[in-house]
Amino acid sequence: MKAKPAELVISLAVLALGTAVALGTTRLSGAGGYARIGPNAAPAVVAGGLVLLGLWLLYEALSGGWHNSIPDQPEARGEHRFYASAFIWVSVGLFAQMLLIHRAGFVLAQAALFACIARGFGSTRPARDFAIGIALALGVFLFFVKFLNVNLPAGWLKPILGTAGI
Amino acid sequence: MAETFHLLLHGFSIALTPFNILWGLIGVILGTFVGVLPGVGPALTVAMLLPLTVKLDPTGALIMFAGIYYGAMYGGSTTTILLNTPGESASIATALEGNLMAKNGRAGPALATSAIGSFVAGTIATVLVTMLAPLVIEVALRFGPAEYFALMVFAFTTVSAVIGSSTVRGLTSLFLGLFLGTIGIDSQTGQSRFAFGVPELLDGIDVVVLAVGLFAVGEALYVAAYSSRLEEKIEQLKGSLWMSKEDWKRSWPAWLRATAIGFPFGSIPAGGAEIPTFLSYATEKKLTKYPQEFGNGAIEGVAGPEAANNASVTGALVPLLTLGIPTSATAAILLSAFQNYGIQPGPLLFQSQADLVWGLIASLYIGNVLLLILNLPLVGIWVKVLTIPLPLLYAGILVFATLGAYSLHQSVVDLLTLYVFGLLGFVMRRWDIPVAPAIIGLILGPLAETQFRRALAISQGDLSVFITQPISATVLAVSALLLIVPLVVSLVRRA
Repeated sequence: MKAKPAELVISLAVLALGTAVALGTTRLSGAGGYARIGPNAAPAVVAGGLVLLGLWLLYEALSGGWHNSIPDQPEARGEHRFYASAFIWVSVGLFAQMLLIHRAGFVLAQAALFACIARGFGSTRPARDFAIGIALALGVFLFFVKFLNVNLPAGWLKPILGTAGI
Repeated sequence: MAETFHLLLHGFSIALTPFNILWGLIGVILGTFVGVLPGVGPALTVAMLLPLTVKLDPTGALIMFAGIYYGAMYGGSTTTILLNTPGESASIATALEGNLMAKNGRAGPALATSAIGSFVAGTIATVLVTMLAPLVIEVALRFGPAEYFALMVFAFTTVSAVIGSSTVRGLTSLFLGLFLGTIGIDSQTGQSRFAFGVPELLDGIDVVVLAVGLFAVGEALYVAAYSSRLEEKIEQLKGSLWMSKEDWKRSWPAWLRATAIGFPFGSIPAGGAEIPTFLSYATEKKLTKYPQEFGNGAIEGVAGPEAANNASVTGALVPLLTLGIPTSATAAILLSAFQNYGIQPGPLLFQSQADLVWGLIASLYIGNVLLLILNLPLVGIWVKVLTIPLPLLYAGILVFATLGAYSLHQSVVDLLTLYVFGLLGFVMRRWDIPVAPAIIGLILGPLAETQFRRALAISQGDLSVFITQPISATVLAVSALLLIVPLVVSLVRRA
């Protein structure tokens, strides 16, 4: 049986992470006072563990596949085929939020996130989704700022939201 | 024992102040509401609602959290039974029979036996926590760093290697969490580790960001990609909500047996509520007088696992409060809630913060009563939550989940980290790598490291300290056996 590419990639990624941690550990100080071990001891254990586990996963992947793995066909898992567009819309929403939150402010960023996620899950009414997002985010904003005294950025809506927010 | 009773009464005097009752009530309502949402388990519920408590005093906040913790489980059962989408692995056993009962028009009794069973198990388990905690503390006060380190290693082993479908994938998840735990400033020397000069990383990775990333963002990516276009079937809540005499007769023994199974699993750090729920399911299947009903919606098959789940989750408060060791993802996030207030659970907590601890324990009794009242008559309201369309539901979940991560430090770096953990969560979900060990590793790893270095500082660097002290030697030996025996068995079987 041919090894599954995904299992190989994940196994190698674990191995690579372990190696990287090991390299990073060599740059840490080992001075540890009475304990005789320093801040580099725990990372060394972690690095060793990750390398061993990476090798173990690689061995399983190459000798007939990971044990007790779940089926590769989505249908066998009771799911549908991979919708790349859905995955991308959810990602777009999260990046839009990162870009907007300190410029346009919390309310608009969360509304954009809301609309993109809904789009990713198959909604076909972006204007409605955005409006619901605005209402929800505005409610959260006012609750946090007025009631909990937690500041959230007002951004472009500052003229409307007044003194609330930062 | 009389002293314990006195302390508990004192706890009630704290928990029953108007504000604390209010926080408890808000906690159970929010917990139930969020717990009902499909795809949101108790761990995510607690992580998402954490920022709400930033301005509360510690006692009020923790009472609210206890309410959220319990409420999320009650709410989750409703979803499991009506929608057949278990929000966490401990609900899978309930889903087996519960959803079948709902399909046969017996959703009412299924919800009732799960709610009353949770109440019975939760209350008995709380009584056991009350009695057991002072005893564990007696012992724990004599523990040194070596014993703590050994117990933490034991918890690592049980949560990663013993549960789940694969030891190696569980351990991989654990070590990933341990790695994330080393990021930031080393607490003992002040040296920065793996922060790459990013100031936001110096404080370390927050467990809330990891939990929300893995559970909310990862889940959203996965569900959007693989199951957002499936037809969902919600079972209607028709017929009587009440259990018949027959239902009562069959539920009672199952609740009690399940409590006896669930509590020990939670209270020794033996990793989560998944095993006891399945054990309880198997027990009921074996003991039932109606074996033909199993597979068609047998009430014992709902009553048992639900009660076992609650008993074990409540039992998990014993190691959490008395030793500071979390044994589930949810308990790990509760521990971080404690730490946000600068409180480190452990035997000393019962002395230094007696008001807080006993107020919290008393609020568990109150929370169980509130939840029973909230869930039985009001279940119709929670069912309405399930009719929210999937796109709006997940959009709403992410608005709140990202808010939870962002409001910690108002930082975009946290949002980026959140997305990276989301991708990780997607990969872990798709290739069946459990996420709970990573969360427990992140929060418990640095604590274990501290105890390890303390133990060695006392012994002047002599590693034998871990095997010359009887308790730590025994616990470490058991952990090693748990890890090695299954491996040997599987090797022998294949050879």
